[in-house]
Amino acid sequence: MEDSYIYAIVALLPLAAVMLTVQVNPYNALVIRGILGGVAALVYAVLGAADVALTEALVGTMLAITLYAVAVRSSLIMRVGVLKDECKDEWINEHRDECKHELIQADDLHPFAQLITHLSMIAKKYHLRLELIPYGDPQSLQQALMEKEVHITCIPNSCVERSHENEQLRPPDATPEYHTVTRIRRLYDILQTELTSLTPSSIPSPPPSPPSPITGVTYVMVQDLGEKH
Amino acid sequence: MDMILIAMILALLIPIYEAWQNEDIWQKMLAFASIATKTSVMILVVSVLQGDRMIGTVGVIILSVGNAGLMLLAHVIKRLNDAPNERQL
Repeated sequence: MEDSYIYAIVALLPLAAVMLTVQVNPYNALVIRGILGGVAALVYAVLGAADVALTEALVGTMLAITLYAVAVRSSLIMRVGVLKDECKDEWINEHRDECKHELIQADDLHPFAQLITHLSMIAKKYHLRLELIPYGDPQSLQQALMEKEVHITCIPNSCVERSHENEQLRPPDATPEYHTVTRIRRLYDILQTELTSLTPSSIPSPPPSPPSPITGVTYVMVQDLGEKH
Repeated sequence: MDMILIAMILALLIPIYEAWQNEDIWQKMLAFASIATKTSVMILVVSVLQGDRMIGTVGVIILSVGNAGLMLLAHVIKRLNDAPNERQL
């Protein structure tokens, strides 16, 4: 047991542990946890504890990582309720491609696509996953928010007051075009900070007009019904 | 024989550095796979050095079963990128 390589192998364990603790993204941290499990199994086997090494490799690396990956995936999510007629397949796919290639020009996009681009940038910053859930009309959207099916809702201001036919009669740029309602205090703080303060930094050239916030944010208190999660 | 193990430890540092520096999740997964395989082979080498059949058996089991966790994690991460389309319309 007095071989010199044992010290080098044991020194790998705190190295992997420090790597794990400095991770910010939870998914990256899960992968590093797997690396830590592999190194730990090696250390245990070298020190002679074969049963501990086997348990670490099977339970610590395989089972724990899988369970944590499912837990992180289902909890770090931001469900956005939108109207169905706003949510067309073509431009969402287009928007996803543009998002991947970092070629977002703020002026060229439809306002709703612009809004979703902002939201997905915010979600990416906080390691959240954005999920769009379409609803038929504003009433069912509001009910879904109250029943805790979605976390935030995005409604055009034209839908709040009147029907779509009068949309052209509204004076442009008077108010934000969309109205965002959230029921989670932390999301409200994040959205308030991110949406109203500045345009995202990945947009290369700022538009000549001063950037107005595309949506207003409102926080609503939802009563806890008890039977829902 | 100790020099072989020292060289393998040095080779193990390469994917560890890669997993630390590269922010891409798939590069991290590649480094994870590399480290998992390297550590299992090192367990086998140590078992030969110490003449311990029990450690060798554990090394074989870790080498053959250990990548299953990697595959499960890769499936979950892969579905993350497709997820926004799942419940749309």
